This record gives sequence, C-alpha cells and structure tokens, in this order.
Amino acid sequence: MTAPLLDVEALSIEFQTPSRKVRPVDGVDFAIGRNQTLGLVGESGSGKTMSSLGLLRLVPRPGRIVGGRIGFDGQDLLALSEPEMAALRGRRMAMVFQNPAYSLNPLLTIGRQLGEIVAWHERLGRADAEARVADLLGLVGIADPGARLRQFPHELSGGMKQRVCIARALLCDPWLILADEPTTNLDVTIQAQILDLLRSLKERLHTAMLLVTHDMGVVARMADRITVMYAGRVCETADARTIFRAPLHPYTIALLESVPRADRAYDRGRRETLPVIGGRLPDMTHPPAGCRFHPRCPEAIAECSRVLPLATPVAPGHVVSCIRRGSASIPVAA
Amino acid sequence: MDTSLPARSRIRAPRRPGVWRQGWRRLRRNRTGMLGLTLVALVVLVAVFCPLLAPYNPDDQSAMMSFGASAPPAWSHIMGTDRLGYDIASRIVYGAPTALTVGVGAMLIASLIGVTIGGISGYAGGLADELLMRFTEFFLVIPVFLVILSVVRLFGIIVVGTWLESVPHLNLGTIIVLLGVFGWPPIARLTRAEFLRLRQLEFVEAARCIGARRRDILLRHILPNALPSIIVVVALGVGAAILSEAMISFLGFGDPNAVSWGQLLYFNYETLKVAPWASLAPGAAIFITVLGFNLLADGLSDAFNPRLRQ
Repeated sequence: MTAPLLDVEALSIEFQTPSRKVRPVDGVDFAIGRNQTLGLVGESGSGKTMSSLGLLRLVPRPGRIVGGRIGFDGQDLLALSEPEMAALRGRRMAMVFQNPAYSLNPLLTIGRQLGEIVAWHERLGRADAEARVADLLGLVGIADPGARLRQFPHELSGGMKQRVCIARALLCDPWLILADEPTTNLDVTIQAQILDLLRSLKERLHTAMLLVTHDMGVVARMADRITVMYAGRVCETADARTIFRAPLHPYTIALLESVPRADRAYDRGRRETLPVIGGRLPDMTHPPAGCRFHPRCPEAIAECSRVLPLATPVAPGHVVSCIRRGSASIPVAA
Repeated sequence: MDTSLPARSRIRAPRRPGVWRQGWRRLRRNRTGMLGLTLVALVVLVAVFCPLLAPYNPDDQSAMMSFGASAPPAWSHIMGTDRLGYDIASRIVYGAPTALTVGVGAMLIASLIGVTIGGISGYAGGLADELLMRFTEFFLVIPVFLVILSVVRLFGIIVVGTWLESVPHLNLGTIIVLLGVFGWPPIARLTRAEFLRLRQLEFVEAARCIGARRRDILLRHILPNALPSIIVVVALGVGAAILSEAMISFLGFGDPNAVSWGQLLYFNYETLKVAPWASLAPGAAIFITVLGFNLLADGLSDAFNPRLRQ
C-alpha cells in the first residue's frame, strides 16, 4: 500500500484559558489516500471542524495544536514555517465552508476576490488570473461565467454562492479539499446538486477530499472511508461499506439507528419510535474518564470508565476503539 | 456536464444593490440626514466658490474710511461691517474654506491614527490590544483643550526667528495637527470593535484558509467592511473639530492670518450691543456648519446601521 496523501496521527488541540483547559480534539488519527474521500462524522461539538482547521494550522485562538503529527505528501505540516504553510493553504489544501452566504466578501466582485488568490499563489497577471477564474466558474456549472466575474456575492443565490466557493477551493488544483458541512445551509434540492458536483469534480481533477459532516446520508453518498468521532476522539474508522453494513462501535451503531428512514413511520406508541442516543455530549471541561462514550453507551460495563480504549485494527482497514470489541486498552491514570 | 444549471436560472436576476447603494437609498429617505447633507453641501459650495461669492476682499478694511466701522447692514455691505471695517459677508464666505480645512484636515489625521491603532488592536488582540487600548484611554482623559491652547501659544513663541516663521498659516496648521492628534481615540475604539466583529466572520476566515496574505485580509477584506461605521464617527468628528477651532480662535489663540468664524467672534464680541450683526453672522455660520455635519452623521448612521434604530 502506498503512503497516504494525508496522515494524521494523535492530533490534539487544546484551548487554554486562565480558568480552564479544554481539548476539543484529543489524539485523533485518520488518513486519506490520494483521490480518496474520507467522511469525518460526528455530532456537533465532537471536534470535526476543529480537526479540519487544525490541518490548515488555523485553529482559532486561544486554541493551539498541542501534539501529534500531520503528514501531508511526505512532509510534517506541524514542522513547516508559517510562510511555507501560507503558501500551502489554498494551493495544495483548500477549504469549502459551511455557510456560503457568509464566506464571500460582500464588497468585492467574484472576479476580484477569486482572482487575487490565483494571482498570488500562481504569480499570474490579473487578466490571466481572471481567465482562470472564469474557467473554473464554468467548471462548477455556473452559466455565463464572464458576467458573474463582475457580480457581487449578494447578486447570487445560495447554491450559486456555494458553487463559487467550490470554484475558489479548486483555483490552484489542490491535492486535498476540506469540505466542512458543505451542504448544511442549502435547500435539499441544491444539496444534491452540490454533492454531485463535488463528486464529479473530485473524479475529474483527481483530488482527495475530507468531508466533514453530521449527515449520514451525505457520507453514504460521497465517502470511500469513514471516520466516526465522538467528544474529540475517534471511535471507529472503516470503509464506507463496512460502516453501514457491519458497524462495530456502539456509538456508530446508535448513530446509524437514529437516522430517520423514509420507509418507516415513526409514530410514538403505534408502530415504532425513532431510536435516539440518550443523554448529551459530555461537558468537555470534564470529559468522562476512560471511554468518553460510556455514560451514554448501551453496552457499557464498569471497566469502560477505568480504561482508555486504544484504536485497534479488527479487520484489514477497520479500526475500532472499544474494549467490548476487543480493543486494546490502557488503564486510566487515577 | 450533468450538474450544469437548468436553463431557467440563466435569466439574470435583477441587480440587487450593494452596501453603499443601499445606504445611499436609505439616506435619501431620511429627512434629518438629507437636511444635514444639504447644509454641508451649502457650506462646501460656498467654500469652493468663495472668490465669486464674496463682494469684497476679506482683508479690505476700506469701509473704515467711507462706509464706517460697525455699520449696520446696507445694500453695499449686506451683513454690515465689523469694528475693524471688514465686510462681514466677505469674512463669512472666506471663513468657510478655513472651517472645512480644519474639520477635514483634523479628521484626516485622526482617522489615519485611529484606524491604524484600532485596526491593529482589534486584529492582533492579546497584549497588543490591551496596551493600545490603555494608550487610547490615556488620550481620552487628557484635557485636550488646555493642551491645545498652551501648545499653540508656546509653539508660536518657539517659532519666532526660525525658518518656520515663514510657513504660511503655520498657526492654523498647528491647530489642525493638534485637533487630529487628540481626536483619534473615538475612531480607534470604533475601528477596534468593527475589526473584532469582522475578524471572526466566515469570509475572513475563508480568506485565511485560502492562503490570503495578512495585508490583503486587513486592507481588502476587513477594512472596507468597517468603513460604513467609521464614516459616521468621522462625519461627527468634522463638526466637532470645526467647533473646537472656533472656540480656540474665539479665545484669541487662532491664526491671525486666516479668516475664521471664531476669530470674527473674538474681534467683535465686545461690540455685541452696538453691532450685534458682527457677532450673530459668524455664530450662525458655525451653527449651520456644525449642525449640518451632526445631522449628516446621524443620517449616515441610520443609513448604514438601520438595525440600531428601532
């Protein structure tokens, strides 16, 4: 097996304020091969977005990366200087944001704000840069790209803005696209269009993608591999097929069961109730000891609060952290 | 391509107005704002066309000889003359460019300092923010007026005998610089607040993620979006600076070589009972100008931040 494009090992991000210390990302591992799509799944607050910002080394203050390694195309991103990192952002690794309405500068035309990125990264003149932008706008399915160049973001619809944002991410032919909930704020019909667009672009441009989402439907459609996160830790990583057919971690199982299905009627008392995961995400200032999911886990045993489960391969390409599934573990320091 | 848009969406949506155009539309509908704009426009027009509008040279004291000093309004001197024999109408007209120069000049300096300090403070945060804001507060508590009066007087003495003495309107320039140097704290505080707000908006973060340089983030993404709010305080500041200069001149610390409304008051307040027109006219001119800028600022604030007023 060739080395993956992105290889994150034991990434930890910590927010330290005078009064408390929080680790929204605590020893997270995942890897993405070239041309592969990894779905990073979890509830809100499980550390998905923070992990993806960590990849760009843009963790907002007062947070910082306190440990781990981010291997990207053979180099360790955490060892790069800030200018080297800036040259990488947008060029080798580019991000598509959650909310297209807010992720474009309202005072610059599309042509200007996309053009300046190309002009800077690729050292192109303004006319060449705009031509490149127009090409990409056409590629993401925007009609009449020449006219759009001179328009301002408020003159475009939401779906159109997201297409512009995708074009912006693709401007410099990145090797990896980080898509953070790219469809959450769009209408359902537009969502499908945008997902199709992302997938077809990924195939045509041979780009890898990290898809951060809480929507199991989206990952089912898009991802080759899936990493499930809970409260800052990885629960399970496997091929998309395996996750949906034979999930192992109790959290993954619960997550999949709580997805509503169109072919069932959930009517309390009459037919069946939509299963939900009881309880709520733990307070991250005082995360539960041992396995973080154990307070809500239907299969928890006393041991779960005393030992920290380690990511253990149970089958080729399938890693689980749960002692009930045979994961190795280390005792929690008391 | 399978994901291309359906043909229907090719129809161009009607152009929706941007921030500036929307603001202008709201200002047009705002009665106070338009009144302010009209008054300011009036002052600007008078300032621009002052040589055409003024019936006499502002330094012409010949009325002393024939028409008489402190004479009431008449056809030849429509606002009368003051006790030094100047034609008041001409002095008022020539006072307009002085007032505007002071207001705009001082605010130009104040904006430059204020936006720089506020911008760095808001964007950098942390210790830099803390230090710069304490520095700003230090400037806020200085009794500006006293400082300006003493510096103007001292500087006027120091300059004697040096080449600086030959600089035209040196005294007025000093006042402008001082008003600017002490007028920036409100601008800095507002700029800081705006930068703090904009810094964490998604498009700024997006720009950062896409590898935009810090200079571009600050000057092209954050600053332009902060301008509508900054313009409001600057407009307010222009009025305040004009008023300050009038006060300084009224106390006799103004530029003897410049025609200024405050100085006109200083020359004539003693003859208030004999020749009230000589004091009323410059007073009215100051009132109209400052009122104009304040109303304009009020209108601009409504136009650019419509949610504040409800």
